[in-house]
Amino acid sequence: MENIKADLISKIKSTFENVTEKDHDGNRLDFYVNKKIIPSILTHFKVNEGFIHLSHISCVDWLEEGEFEIIYILWSPKDKIKVFVRTRVERENPVMPNIDMIWRQANTYEREMREMFGIEFEGLVGEKEFVLEDWEGMPPMRRDFDTEAYADETFWHRPGREDAMDVREAIIERSREEIPDFAKKYSR
Amino acid sequence: MREKATTLYIGPQHPGITGNMMVRVKVEGDTIVKATTEVGYLHRAFEKLQEKRNWLQSFTLMCRFCVPETDPMEELYARAVEAIEGREVPERAKYIRVMVLELARLASFMLWYGGQNGSLGLYTMGQWSVGDRNYILDLFEELTGGRVYHMYIWPGGVRRDLPKGFEKRVLKTMDYLEKRLDDYDDLMFDNAIFKKRTQGVGIVDKDKAIEHGVVGAVLRGCGIKSDIRIDEPYEVYDKLDFIVPTQEGADIWARALVRRQEARQSIRIIRQVIDMMPGGPVYNKIPNPQKWRLPKGDAYVRVESVRGEVGLYAVSDGGLKPRRIHVRGAAYVHAITLLEDVLVGENIADVSAIMNSLGTCPPEIER
Repeated sequence: MENIKADLISKIKSTFENVTEKDHDGNRLDFYVNKKIIPSILTHFKVNEGFIHLSHISCVDWLEEGEFEIIYILWSPKDKIKVFVRTRVERENPVMPNIDMIWRQANTYEREMREMFGIEFEGLVGEKEFVLEDWEGMPPMRRDFDTEAYADETFWHRPGREDAMDVREAIIERSREEIPDFAKKYSR
Repeated sequence: MREKATTLYIGPQHPGITGNMMVRVKVEGDTIVKATTEVGYLHRAFEKLQEKRNWLQSFTLMCRFCVPETDPMEELYARAVEAIEGREVPERAKYIRVMVLELARLASFMLWYGGQNGSLGLYTMGQWSVGDRNYILDLFEELTGGRVYHMYIWPGGVRRDLPKGFEKRVLKTMDYLEKRLDDYDDLMFDNAIFKKRTQGVGIVDKDKAIEHGVVGAVLRGCGIKSDIRIDEPYEVYDKLDFIVPTQEGADIWARALVRRQEARQSIRIIRQVIDMMPGGPVYNKIPNPQKWRLPKGDAYVRVESVRGEVGLYAVSDGGLKPRRIHVRGAAYVHAITLLEDVLVGENIADVSAIMNSLGTCPPEIER
């Protein structure tokens, strides 16, 4: 396993520039790359290195750093290795290259990321609406989207349940028991 | 003369659809020329909610991702958290987890038997298999208190040890189900209607499978031997003896044969696990959940469910709450790009049979 990983790292580093790697325990290997080479490096993995299965594409919003991180997880049935290809894209007007010509299912992931994070994929085909309907506000999976404010604006509380607005207060009033401080802190 | 094309909406509420989703099909006569999957009827924003809850609170949402199979999701979450934190799991808990996962697989196979036959109008099978599934749910109720949602496999092990004499009751149920599976064969695989409706229908060949990232029984049904339990063994699957069946037909019939054999393999695994199960503790206690911080890091783990590979990508930023939880369901890949491709050229009447065969589970797509 270690030999295969070392071999793979040297092959990738000799083929692509500005690639850094991180070797994890077990069968996992991470590569940090620039977003421009995503289609070429993924094609290389699929065609030349036997990583024929695209297991997952995920997106993480690093709000504090002003960036989205996009992670492509590939699996090689031959070598039994998982490769994470990681790239970053700025949060302001994010644009990523499209890879659905390499794996067709990437189309679904990209449509979802476009809708949930507001990331544009160059030349992505497919209906704009995926899960949400008539959504015009901020893409909801972004970290700065306030779910509670959205719920308060969009929905209303059922009348007759005013005392249940703050559950903890209602419990204290009814039972006259003290609620521990940590419970107060973590409720609501 | 070219027939005029009509657009039909199958779902979101339709007995043949495996949940709340819609397939918009353009048909010429009875033949589909274009299909589009539309989802959005079941979006509950679980992944967003989990970012707002602490690590233990967000665990309770996991089993609700896909109703027919709840335990693989719990297993994923538990293993992802353990991988990030480096928490050890007691040996006995690993065996119990495998037993629960295989019981869950069996229960899910029973639902599939019913769904696959029901989609072709053969309703007797559904009544038999869903009835027999209740015996497995009874076992779950005894073990966990819940029939469908268990919340039993959690970070650090399992929630409680097996009740007294539980193993015997599991083995007794297995003996019963093994006999019943033979009855199912007579009803399903010796049935001329089932053969005629499934052979050569819904073909996913090797090239298409790799192009679309297909997993599970659909992949094994086209001759590719692939199973997470063998490829990337988790818990104690590397110590167990079982086979991964494959078929060459690549149609609904081939996938049904694969699942038929897999159900028997699950019974075999459960017997082995009970035989090999060691004693000892079942739970490596987690700290106070309100103050439970995971170190910075991420993990991607996978489990083989009845529908195929399910994965979970979890990210921790060192805080009390998950930074990101992202589930990769088997249906996410199967029910959109693949289904739209496979349906072209098929008959309208076969839509729901194909959906059942591909393991479509809409809640897993929207999450």
